[in-house]
Amino acid sequence: MLRAEINELLTKTDPGTPMGELFRQYWIPALLAEELRENDCPPVRVKLLGERMVAIRDSDGRYGLIDEFCAHRGASLWFGRNEGSGLRCPYHGWKYDVTGQAVEIPSEPEHSNFCAHVKLTSYPLVKIGDVLWTFMGDPAKQPPLPEFEFALVPPERTYTSKRWQECNWLQAFEGGIDSSHVSWLHSGGLKSDPLFKGTKGNEYNMGDLKPYFEVADAEGGLFVGARRNAEEDTYYWRITPWVMPCFTMVPPRGDHPVHGHFWIPIDDENCWAYSFDYHPVRALTAEEVQAMKDGHGVHSENIPGTYRPAANKDNDYLIDRAAQKRGDTYSGVKGIAIQDSSLQESMGPIVDRTKEMLVSADSGIIKARQKLKKAVEALRDKGTTPPGVDPAHHHVRSAAVVLPRDASFVEACREDLSVREGVRQSSV
Amino acid sequence: MSTTFRPILGSSCARATSAVEMRYRIDRPIRGRRGARIIALDAGADAIVTRISRNPWGHAHFLTLAGPVADVSGLGSDSVALRDTAGAPSSLLAELDDADVVIMVATTGSDAAAATIVGAACTVRAIMTAGLVIGERATVNATVAAIRPHARVLMVSGDEQDVMDVLSALRA
Repeated sequence: MLRAEINELLTKTDPGTPMGELFRQYWIPALLAEELRENDCPPVRVKLLGERMVAIRDSDGRYGLIDEFCAHRGASLWFGRNEGSGLRCPYHGWKYDVTGQAVEIPSEPEHSNFCAHVKLTSYPLVKIGDVLWTFMGDPAKQPPLPEFEFALVPPERTYTSKRWQECNWLQAFEGGIDSSHVSWLHSGGLKSDPLFKGTKGNEYNMGDLKPYFEVADAEGGLFVGARRNAEEDTYYWRITPWVMPCFTMVPPRGDHPVHGHFWIPIDDENCWAYSFDYHPVRALTAEEVQAMKDGHGVHSENIPGTYRPAANKDNDYLIDRAAQKRGDTYSGVKGIAIQDSSLQESMGPIVDRTKEMLVSADSGIIKARQKLKKAVEALRDKGTTPPGVDPAHHHVRSAAVVLPRDASFVEACREDLSVREGVRQSSV
Repeated sequence: MSTTFRPILGSSCARATSAVEMRYRIDRPIRGRRGARIIALDAGADAIVTRISRNPWGHAHFLTLAGPVADVSGLGSDSVALRDTAGAPSSLLAELDDADVVIMVATTGSDAAAATIVGAACTVRAIMTAGLVIGERATVNATVAAIRPHARVLMVSGDEQDVMDVLSALRA
């Protein structure tokens, strides 16, 4: 249960809201690099944190994220012509560069200085890995670029997709640190998904449906450990890191690629789920990449030419009651990603947390909310930089390990939970 | 031949997740937790539990150990004497009678024997257990190790506010 005012505090991210200000302290994914494939390609409409923008890649390969609407009459620059190192509004020919600076206003005299005075709001847009990242906060407080491992490994080792999720970011994110649903909702996937199946860890997962949980503070957020019985004298630990505000990694399975997510608010009732898979020390195989493109693992099969899942709320997620009855899927919905989104969207655009009845197994969620609230208030009241801004906090990994029964995962897995160049993920 | 009926109303089709339709979610209190027992396992935890107990709560009982539980061997649940924050005596057996979750709060120097007996008594009765250890990680390692086997959920935190937040979230 969460009080209504706290629910509002944590879910609203428009400009001027406390949580919106928190998000504006971080570099966040704005779009996939594949959306701006080449110089002078068409602009892309982008809405983030309740602000509408267009993303462009100019003739010189520079990226920019600028106010969607022309300063002149407010026409959408999505209709603009991207050419000659700038984006020109087709209505009256006003042209802007990637920083939003007006560079041509044809109606003005040839050497008029008016042009230099016109500048649209813009945000930096930087390609790291498969993702274009932006920072929407005060330029004077722009932190160093993000250093998440999935984005820094060589291109052949990583793959990122995204999908539109039709609910508030917080309820989507909370699924990412909720380890106890995996053995239920995703139980079918553990048996059949090509990016999950065939590991010893899965046997432990399915052999003990009542895990114990341990929540530990981390510099950038939390580690949530779920332990299950393994052998006589050992436990199987699955450890999920959360880096504030919305980065989570799924504990790995065998030598399968490691996956994780960002949940980025579009507005208060929609978010982008960015889903990545990477392997720290080897190239992804062609079969793995194809499986990801086909919507297996944490990825989704999207409607061609869009980032909307083919199974969505308008078709009841293509629920298949016969497959549910056969045990192919637990909920009748196919695919890990859509199994999650179907239930998270079913809660409504912003779930009313005053009505929920949490149990102690939800401690990871309870603690994450508390950390978010504290960070929001410390930023608002004292200007304190929140955890997760410092790139050093990004150097985390998830882990799935077998430990002696008396071991503390925090102590025993200190190295496993850190990025170690040239060392594979810790996984069984 | 059976007929498959397709839903057509806003509340019975895919549009049911809209904000407009979600307004019709039944707005009456859901019956739920009635038996949270919060037990302090050491002097530091006593102070925390006493402070927190002054807030308005539902059916939660806030308890401390009436005396040390020196040795587990041969002792049963009746060896754990408790008192509430007003000083009234109680017993573990009585408190577990209608408990649905037991939250053990600890800092440093916790009574490991008490944690063992409380945990075992809860396991036998299928009562959920949680352990909240408050203090800097380095100073509470021994406490964490003592409680870990007996708490299905364990949270280590440097912030006493976590106890409040967990209890509020659980509708204690």
